[in-house]
Amino acid sequence: MTERPIFTPELLDRCISCGFCLPACPTFALTQSEPSSPRGRINLMRALQEGRLPDDDPTVVAEASFCLGCRACEPVCPAGVHYGELLEEWRDHEWTGRRRPWKLGPLLLATNRRWRVRALGLFRRHARRRSGSGPHLMLGCFERALFPHVSRQAAALVPDASVTPKQGCCGALHAHNGELERGRALARSLGEDLPGMILTTSGGCAAHMAAVLGRDRVRELSEWLAGAGHTPRSPARRLRVALQDSCHLRNANGVWREPRALIEQVADYVELPSASTCCGAAGTYALLRPGDSRRILDRKLDEIAAADPDLIIAVNPGCLRQLRQGLRRRRLRTQAIHIAELLTSHQDNDGSSPADARQDGRVRAAPG
Amino acid sequence: MDSAIDAELARGLSEVVGESHVRTDVGARTVFGTDATPLHRGMPDAVCFPASTEEVAGVVRVANDLKVPIVPRGAGTNLSAGTVPHRGGIVLVLTRMDRLLELDVANMVAVCEPGLTTSALAEAAAGESLLYPPDPGSRTVSTVGGNVATCAGGLRGLKYGVTRDYVLGCEVVLGTGEVIRCGGKLVKDVAGLDLVRLMCGSEGTLGIISELTLRLVPAPEGSGTGLAYFDHLADAGQAVSDVLRNGILPVTLEFLDATCIEAVEGFAHVGLRTDAGALLIFGQDGPSETVARDMERIADACRAQRAIEVRVAGTADESARILEARRAVLPSLSRLAPLTILEDATVPRSRLAEMVQRIEQIASRYELLIGTFGHAGDGNLHPTCVIDPHDGDTLERVEHAFTEIFAAALELGGTITGEHGVGLGKLAHLEGQLGAAQMALLRRIKSAFDPAGILNPGKLAS
Repeated sequence: MTERPIFTPELLDRCISCGFCLPACPTFALTQSEPSSPRGRINLMRALQEGRLPDDDPTVVAEASFCLGCRACEPVCPAGVHYGELLEEWRDHEWTGRRRPWKLGPLLLATNRRWRVRALGLFRRHARRRSGSGPHLMLGCFERALFPHVSRQAAALVPDASVTPKQGCCGALHAHNGELERGRALARSLGEDLPGMILTTSGGCAAHMAAVLGRDRVRELSEWLAGAGHTPRSPARRLRVALQDSCHLRNANGVWREPRALIEQVADYVELPSASTCCGAAGTYALLRPGDSRRILDRKLDEIAAADPDLIIAVNPGCLRQLRQGLRRRRLRTQAIHIAELLTSHQDNDGSSPADARQDGRVRAAPG
Repeated sequence: MDSAIDAELARGLSEVVGESHVRTDVGARTVFGTDATPLHRGMPDAVCFPASTEEVAGVVRVANDLKVPIVPRGAGTNLSAGTVPHRGGIVLVLTRMDRLLELDVANMVAVCEPGLTTSALAEAAAGESLLYPPDPGSRTVSTVGGNVATCAGGLRGLKYGVTRDYVLGCEVVLGTGEVIRCGGKLVKDVAGLDLVRLMCGSEGTLGIISELTLRLVPAPEGSGTGLAYFDHLADAGQAVSDVLRNGILPVTLEFLDATCIEAVEGFAHVGLRTDAGALLIFGQDGPSETVARDMERIADACRAQRAIEVRVAGTADESARILEARRAVLPSLSRLAPLTILEDATVPRSRLAEMVQRIEQIASRYELLIGTFGHAGDGNLHPTCVIDPHDGDTLERVEHAFTEIFAAALELGGTITGEHGVGLGKLAHLEGQLGAAQMALLRRIKSAFDPAGILNPGKLAS
């Protein structure tokens, strides 16, 4: 077997095999097994690249898919390995033909054309069209269908944001799931639909767009609000509120202080021990590997049960969905909401507070 | 190895540790074929993960029956290819044995299994206001067992010593499968030969460490950090000598040469002066009055030796920023080229500047980029060469350069390795340092511990 250009050599060379990534990796924590660690996976990638292992090697196939892609290994890497990019290249190579997980097909298909993404949100009340002098609000693909109120609330929080329904998917989904080129093309095309600054309520999308369009064209909502000096109304009663970081927002875009600072303005912030580690949603992971996804989430649910906060805040729709499902399964009283929802409940003037909303069994959505 | 023995090996190991704790898939075997050392790779026949001393002994018996090598491994962070299974066999991973068995505050000792990470031990000790001083760079990942097997050092060597100074007792599975216990919780114990000391740095060639009793010391009350720039490293070396002669034993004395300063500033932008020839980072721990007084005296000694700038950190933040510069050296150098080769030649402290100069001459003769940093207090240098291995005869030039560097270290009364170990990486240079008679003695010792020669064969004295 001979050397094949599966990976960009400079990306693979970066790793000095020091192993500093091991303690940061959720799948290593779960298994304590070197092949399920970033260093182990890079060793597998090198063996693939040099032809020492074939594409269909069972360990290679298993590990390409077992990795959450959370990139928690990147901030702790002294050598600056771009693990996320390596994983994208790995899946681009690995997830072709019969090795591609069958569940991916419909997902990627549903989001690879702008009209299909618009159709996802057709009968849902996402933020309405308007033009403003500020950033362009991204409506998301699955967020449109699953959590349309999030874009309404984001629009309420950023009054000068422009909203246009004529926008597609950013392509993060594709880039992380074996369609690297399409993922990049979708981001570029979204960049044309939304010229100038793009405002997003999804940490995962923020990181992908920053990688393709440039960091200075993308702001995640909490980052934007913190930068704009957003000051919410002080609540009559302060709830105890925890946060689930978005892995890519934190590890790739370096945004983690901002949501904490915003929460602290309106609530008593509770830092969970695993606030910065993956909840197991990991994009399509929860769908492709529900069992492993739950094992990852279970540890976090234990922590939530012990800390017993009133709310847990997500800054990414995938995490929101994952947390809601887990909390329901465990019948915990903590509720998971998006940060837009928390902040709008401290912005509107009708006198309601999240505490009232909690008593209704839901948190109130601001008028959109 | 033929497939009949492979199958027998897998079956034998499964019987000892359970099927789910044996890996024979080629992917896992590939991954466990390397450690943190570049350019060295092996391919084991099986990887197994025992959970107790009995299981370790069981694995040793299987290996004896089938005459296959065993390479013990902790976290695989060693830098001398000590855990590379270049002759195949079993990689025996000890990370499942990671329990802290006892933190005996009255006797100031910790008893633990070998797979416990160095940081976890240090944190547990800190919880009782105790200090486990050895702090190798890889401490968040590395295991205590691996630290003992390589006699790992760290930044506090001069004042606190190295791993061997903290091992009071150990339980060891010999190459025969017999289990011995040597030493214990006692500071004074002269019954028998000092086998505990013999196990330190034995690199898995004499036995497999299955339990450790480690000495702890009272945690210091506080600490301080400062830095000094010099035009010449020799002046920094003289300042260090003056400090020590004045009765001060600093906890930190780290130096960076001009190449390292430039690399760190180019990448990490921590605000270093790139016009300096050398940077000395110094620190002290202890009662706060002592720390303040010592820091001032060290600063004075640096100024007296023509330091071009001296700064003592006023806050913990500032201290952290100074130490950050030292931690950034290796990553910063490693970004200059695809491959990083880190060595640890060591000389008597008084010859440090001379040794660095020799390294510079050797680097320029072979047209290589070598940055040198390290521990000025104990003479432990880290000449670090960054190269593109695909570029012509670079690898050959690196080999020649390091052969000369090791020879220079020996000539100045030093050693080929201060804290990384010999492994495969420096095996060719070992006899040059120890001589034929000592090598023969090491071989006789080895065969007493491991008559069948199955423990990490082909390394150290086998």
